[in-house]
Amino acid sequence: MIRRAARTVPAGLAVIVFLAMAATAQALSVEVTTVQASPEGPSDVQLLQFRPRLRRLVGYRAFRVIHEESRPCVWRNPEAFVIPGGRLLHVLPKGMREEAVVMQVQLQEGPRSLVDTDVRLQNRGVMLFGVDPERGTANGVIIIMLKAEE
Amino acid sequence: MTCVEAERLLDSFVDAELPGPMLLEVARHAGSCPTCDRAVREMTALRGSLEQMVHAELEGLDLSGVWPAVEQRIGRSARRGAWRRLPRQLPMWGAAVAAVAAGALLWFRTPPPEPVRVTHVRPNQAVIERLVSSGGARVGIMKDRKYGTTLIMVSAPGEDAGQ
Repeated sequence: MIRRAARTVPAGLAVIVFLAMAATAQALSVEVTTVQASPEGPSDVQLLQFRPRLRRLVGYRAFRVIHEESRPCVWRNPEAFVIPGGRLLHVLPKGMREEAVVMQVQLQEGPRSLVDTDVRLQNRGVMLFGVDPERGTANGVIIIMLKAEE
Repeated sequence: MTCVEAERLLDSFVDAELPGPMLLEVARHAGSCPTCDRAVREMTALRGSLEQMVHAELEGLDLSGVWPAVEQRIGRSARRGAWRRLPRQLPMWGAAVAAVAAGALLWFRTPPPEPVRVTHVRPNQAVIERLVSSGGARVGIMKDRKYGTTLIMVSAPGEDAGQ
């Protein structure tokens, strides 16, 4: 009886530790929303709260969501989000520091890496990446909204 | 209005930056939803405590002891030399008192108050620790003053220009 207990207790503890580690490992959600900014036209209702700051930052008037994706992420595990226009946004969450999510973000267009950055984004905060294709302002720009939440 | 919709608007709601009808809608929702109501109260309390902290720091600076100390030092110097005072030496003593006063002023001068650092973290604050661009892309960083939202703007030339 005692021998059996001696064998089951460590096994039980190992299972608990494994479950706890699994629970903490998948404790991050990353949301990537791609927005088309245009000089004129209607805007999506879900972007209402962002519209004033998008207007201030980007200078366009109309904003429409063209793609959005949210997925759970594991710390120190890279994730690639597809951005319309043949681009990829690679996100590598590294950890939490002072209530902020530390991550490496890389925006890739085909084989080219347009930008590669290490950022510390406030938990549940949103940061933006703008892609100006340099084909004139008439076509507008693509805005990528990146939100990370532990 | 759902909790998710309300949650997105809470920041602007507390700042009273929403248009009237939306402000009303969020308030109605918060009135009927204990979770959102608590979130509004917490955000309001956080702002209040930050304001209180800043006021307390400012009120805590005590400069009242500076001038009495200088006055005492000047008075002591003046009394010590009073019996020797001669009309001929007045300019010299005047200069000495002035020198002592200046010395005392420097000696007793309180260090300048340290700037009060208000560590108000904005909901969208992003700190860029490293940034590399390649492939001929030009990168600019912009920050929205009001919300602290950061935008990294990439101007990507065509494939031909990048190679």
